[in-house]
Amino acid sequence: MNTISQRFTHANTNDVANEINTVHDSLSHKQTLELAPSISVPPISQPTDFLRAHTDDASNPDCKIKIAHGTTTLAFRFQGGIIVAVDSRATAGNWIASQTVNKVIRINPFLLGTMAGGAADCQYWETWLGTQCRLHELREKERISVAAASKILSNLVYEYKGMGLSMGTMVCGHTKKEGPAIYYVDSDGTRLKGDLFCVGSGQTFAYGVLDSEYKWDLTVEEALYLGKRSILAATHRDAYSGGSINLYHINEQGWTYHGNHNVGDVFWDIRDQEQSFVNVDG
Amino acid sequence: MAGLNFENYQRNSYLSTKGFATPRATSTGTTIVGCKFPGGVVIAADTRATSGPIVADKNCEKLHRLAPKIWCAGAGTAADTEMVTQLIASNLELHALSQNREPRVITALTMLKQHLFKYQGHLGAYLICAGVDPTGAHLLSVQAHGSTDIGKYQSLGSGSLAAMAVLETNFREDLTKEEAIKLCADAIEAGIWNDLGSGSNVDVCVMEVGKDAELYRNYLTPNVRSQKARSYKFAPGTTAILRESVRDILDVEETVVSFDQMEVDTEA
Amino acid sequence: MSDPFSINGGSAVAMVGKDCIAIASDLRLGNQSLGVSNNFEKIFGFGDKCFLGLTGLATDVLTLKETFRFKTNLYKLREERSIEPETLANLVSSTLYERRFGPYFVSPIVAGLGHKDNKPFICGFDSIGCIDFAKDFIVSGTASDQLYGMCESLYEPDLEPEQLFETISQALLNAVDRDALSGWGAVVYIVTKDKVVKRVLKTRQD
Repeated sequence: MNTISQRFTHANTNDVANEINTVHDSLSHKQTLELAPSISVPPISQPTDFLRAHTDDASNPDCKIKIAHGTTTLAFRFQGGIIVAVDSRATAGNWIASQTVNKVIRINPFLLGTMAGGAADCQYWETWLGTQCRLHELREKERISVAAASKILSNLVYEYKGMGLSMGTMVCGHTKKEGPAIYYVDSDGTRLKGDLFCVGSGQTFAYGVLDSEYKWDLTVEEALYLGKRSILAATHRDAYSGGSINLYHINEQGWTYHGNHNVGDVFWDIRDQEQSFVNVDG
Repeated sequence: MAGLNFENYQRNSYLSTKGFATPRATSTGTTIVGCKFPGGVVIAADTRATSGPIVADKNCEKLHRLAPKIWCAGAGTAADTEMVTQLIASNLELHALSQNREPRVITALTMLKQHLFKYQGHLGAYLICAGVDPTGAHLLSVQAHGSTDIGKYQSLGSGSLAAMAVLETNFREDLTKEEAIKLCADAIEAGIWNDLGSGSNVDVCVMEVGKDAELYRNYLTPNVRSQKARSYKFAPGTTAILRESVRDILDVEETVVSFDQMEVDTEA
Repeated sequence: MSDPFSINGGSAVAMVGKDCIAIASDLRLGNQSLGVSNNFEKIFGFGDKCFLGLTGLATDVLTLKETFRFKTNLYKLREERSIEPETLANLVSSTLYERRFGPYFVSPIVAGLGHKDNKPFICGFDSIGCIDFAKDFIVSGTASDQLYGMCESLYEPDLEPEQLFETISQALLNAVDRDALSGWGAVVYIVTKDKVVKRVLKTRQD
């Protein structure tokens, strides 16, 4: 009798309620980054484990929530600026959810962000990054540097570290003081400046082609082709990459889009032209 | 070698400890029923087979022949109902031959239950067994673990609740043959409409004392697919072909050469 | 990783036409996301007009292919004739059921014409040998859900061989294009009473 009435009168004694409250409290006290909107996390002690149990189809194919992932994206710096190339496939488990995903987010006319990992995470936070960059412009009367933009994103994801965000992205852009710059940012909180990155399930295949053909002195035309060719190699070997290739070039004028290339057609064109992919019968 | 082979069992249970999923067998999903009437017995089944959420077969046969006048409706793991039924049918035939008698329903049931009990429920066969023999008409059922049941009307499978509702409402002791058939068909239809694991058509089998058993395959077909509004034929040449090879099939004529025409070297 | 049926990937389909049958499969063999081979046929012939398609775990596909080659060769030696599709179906069924409590991770399909009467026959199995007799089409593999959808919409009865080829090819091609683990080429067999035509299709390579 006593225990029953206690359960209903003193919610504090309830273990579950306590845990929910502590988790919520600990989150609401974190006011370190005011720019970031607050996102609800599941009311349990280990959100990562919870998320993994319900969304990781690699360890549990029967999981109820299958997050779209699997990608190949690349970006590299060269004499003529930056090339960004990505595939366009989204998969949920083995199901190909879409072959026409836009994995490059145009943050502003001088900044591009690539998407790999959780599609929703990338899409949401990179769009959010766009608004932060615009606010920076309005406050400072100056375009944001690539370094600063990428740092806003990496600080944000670090706030959520261990809570299940999944993203591997490259923030690419051109500013007067920096010149062309690429920053790799992922959901672990890593932020790296570099000349050449490939990200996603097909990254190894893309690196294979890119590393063997890459030179600083590539012409723009050669560089665009190399970007396309590297993604093509990845779409061929990696089951979770495919669809079409989106190409971008960035220089001091900002980015220019170099079209959408359907792998179904491009593959045979390049195979015939290069006499490559000799393993494929055709 | 006769009997089951357990070689891969070790490999697969090792795999399942490593987190590999176990295969998904076709399930009958099923509504099966049986009901007696003076002078005979009727059993009936739906015709849907499922594999998880997928309808694997839209018109499968769940009525199995154990002997010419003993039939059996199966629910549960499709492969098990089929195989256990074939095995018992075979043993029953040998039994009938050695005893020089028509097999009895109770014999079939005993053989089934002893077999199923031996496998401790690992064979997922749930059967309604019915027939006529020199001792009259019988309606019996057996569950996967080996337990059995007798009744004037019975239902089994995922749709058994819907079917039993109909049987409980409309069963009478003095049903005519036609009424019994209709009752069984109605009960199956209740399963078809109200149970997601059951569907398509109704199969019925009637066994009357002193007559041959009659199987009415697709007795009711309430789910006929409507004619498609248009055809999706492709123009020849739609599919790109890389290579083609043709193998002609020729009739081979064999001539037998008789012995005296053969040359036999007798010198050596 | 954890489902043995979808480690290597692959799909197959069979259809009945007017006095003919067609059976087709993709050519991919993968190790999870990595494509390993684009020349892994999943359809095997037993006698002139009788074919077996095997999808699932590649090691079991190869083991069973050899098992059935062995069993059908012995059958031919004993009976002095090739195996009929119905007989092969029952052979497959009992071979799989023998391993009821430790199954091979495969979903086979059988398609063929009767050797004397040229009657079309197709059927499919689950991994423990339950036969699914069908009058229209049978699907199997990692793209089986997609294939069900394609076949239910594209299939119609009594197609002539050339028309059946287009229908089965388009059903397979469009199904595997929505499956990450199938594709990388395809092969189709069209079987009529006097010839077997094998065609290798040009497909997407991603």
